Amino acid sequence: MTAERPEPGAAAQPVFRADASVQWRVSRHSRRLLTLALAALLLALVTRRPELAGLAAPALLLLAAGSGRATRPAWLLVEVRPSATRLIEAEPATIGLTVAGQAAAPGARPGAGGPAAVADGLVPLDSFDLRWTFHPGKGIEPASATAVGGRAPRFALTVPRWGKRQAGTAELVLRDRWRVTEGRVLVTLPSLDCFPRPGQQEATITLSRLPNRLGEHPARVPGDGLEFAGIREYVPGDRQRQINWPASTRLGRLQVNTYAAERAQDVVLLVDATSDVGEPGTSALDFALRGASAAARAYLRQRDRVGAITYQWGGAQWLAPALGKRQEYRIIDALLRADASWSRGANVRRLPRAALPDGALVVAFSPLLDQRFVEALRDMRERGLSLLVVDVLNVSPPASRRDAVSPADRLARRIWSMEQQAIRFALRELGVPVVHWDGTAPLDLPLAPFTRRPLVGRR
Amino acid sequence: MRRRVLAIAGARLGAILLGVAALVWAAVPVPGGGWASIALGIGSLSVLASAGRLAVLEVPEEEDAYFLSLADRLLQRAVGLVRWAAWEEAACVVVLWLEVLHPARAWHTAVLGVLLIAYLLAVHVAESGTPARDLLRGHARVLGAGLVLLALAAAATALPAASAGEGAVLLVVAAVAVIAAATLVLPG
Repeated sequence: MTAERPEPGAAAQPVFRADASVQWRVSRHSRRLLTLALAALLLALVTRRPELAGLAAPALLLLAAGSGRATRPAWLLVEVRPSATRLIEAEPATIGLTVAGQAAAPGARPGAGGPAAVADGLVPLDSFDLRWTFHPGKGIEPASATAVGGRAPRFALTVPRWGKRQAGTAELVLRDRWRVTEGRVLVTLPSLDCFPRPGQQEATITLSRLPNRLGEHPARVPGDGLEFAGIREYVPGDRQRQINWPASTRLGRLQVNTYAAERAQDVVLLVDATSDVGEPGTSALDFALRGASAAARAYLRQRDRVGAITYQWGGAQWLAPALGKRQEYRIIDALLRADASWSRGANVRRLPRAALPDGALVVAFSPLLDQRFVEALRDMRERGLSLLVVDVLNVSPPASRRDAVSPADRLARRIWSMEQQAIRFALRELGVPVVHWDGTAPLDLPLAPFTRRPLVGRR
Repeated sequence: MRRRVLAIAGARLGAILLGVAALVWAAVPVPGGGWASIALGIGSLSVLASAGRLAVLEVPEEEDAYFLSLADRLLQRAVGLVRWAAWEEAACVVVLWLEVLHPARAWHTAVLGVLLIAYLLAVHVAESGTPARDLLRGHARVLGAGLVLLALAAAATALPAASAGEGAVLLVVAAVAVIAAATLVLPG
């Protein structure tokens, strides 16, 4: 098995080619026949009983019939066609495999120049029985039979949880007609990027003070936008088409319409990956990533510049705000790295200005369990950034197994609950709104109080 | 679907029954002595374990199983041993050994040979999951030749020369030579 590579110029469906050597060995069936024959011959010689030698005849004839007659391929060219290499959680996908070429000798490796190059050393596979077995990788769930026959099988699978996953391996077993020998090929399947299933968010939060950049949010300052802002007296240089004739007639002087300027804002999505509590699939980190994905889509749809910061143990990874559909995938790719175990980088204090531009709206998704993250939020607020925290904590500490209703247990849970309330209260006192999201309802619901009117950033 | 399940179950049951039949055929009458009892015990265990292996063919192998209880771990080890060991080979050797413990009985041995070949082919059919008709296509000629050779070897023991010691050795050598010639000429 050599390195896999996508076929150049592949359109929608990526194609990987695996140049694999076939490992031939004696089959279990022939080992059994050989054991019977050898034991019978040995006992015939030792005990001088010719009928025992005759007993070896059928087994030896079967072995002789199947061995050494057919030309066996030494190399195979296998094409791997995943339906997509980027998926969303629980989205069904397929991986198709095709034997595209074969060669009898290692000298005629099929991968050297594609299937056409192996015409000289071509070995017909019709005389072989092909059996494929799919061994799914970690975090991959097969959705079809994992063992099938034929030259072009297709395995269905799903990825239940986000992350970068190895699809697994496919094992091909070739058997000759007599099943005396069998060849094995192991094909490593490509890795799949599984994106978190985004939550639902249509409305966006707009800051009251927007940076001087062309966008789609009506600002409070007059400009060349579309939204009507007011009327003022005409001054030389104003465009005639902006003259408001009814108002001019009523007042006796020329009046012109004024419009609100349309600006874009910088939005930074801050994901707290320090603590992942809850069942896999509905954990705090799952909800944080789903919420951040939904927010990225919603703000990028509004032509805002969106960036992302993943806050992890000991550091933070960041992506500078930018525009466009491509940025959406870059953000999700950056968020996927949140499952990396330990990373040391710059902490939030040391993040460059490009990661946290002045005047940016920071939307944080966090269960607020890590005190250092709360301190980082406080620090950002003190720097004058407009912050909003989406609380994704939906579980409480599990009760003690032995004595679930003991007074100590109740007291501990109550203290924990009060601590959580205190953290949220302290943030609100600092001017950081905290909204709770259960992970299932649209994000528009908890954000509704802030999407109806511009968010006033207080210093 | 039901037909296919029945066919698979039938092949496995057939293999198990053929294994039991070969063992019983070789053992009866049970010769006296400790070695015979030990061989019979090992043979029974091998046939039983082979049946177990055929039964767990469809059970997927456990991967990444951590923190198992002792009972689960023992069960996993036992299933692994049943899958891994060469039970059919052991059964064949033990059955032949049991046959040797009896006095010479040529036609009895020939029938045993048929039973053992049928057992191994039935195991092969059962573990491949392919219908026997497809799997054994083209085997008839070779199997027929092998059975003729087996019958010839059994019949040759009826010759007067076969009773003498040197004659028996020569007969064994002749049988081996005929089989070797047949393997070179007949297949293909």
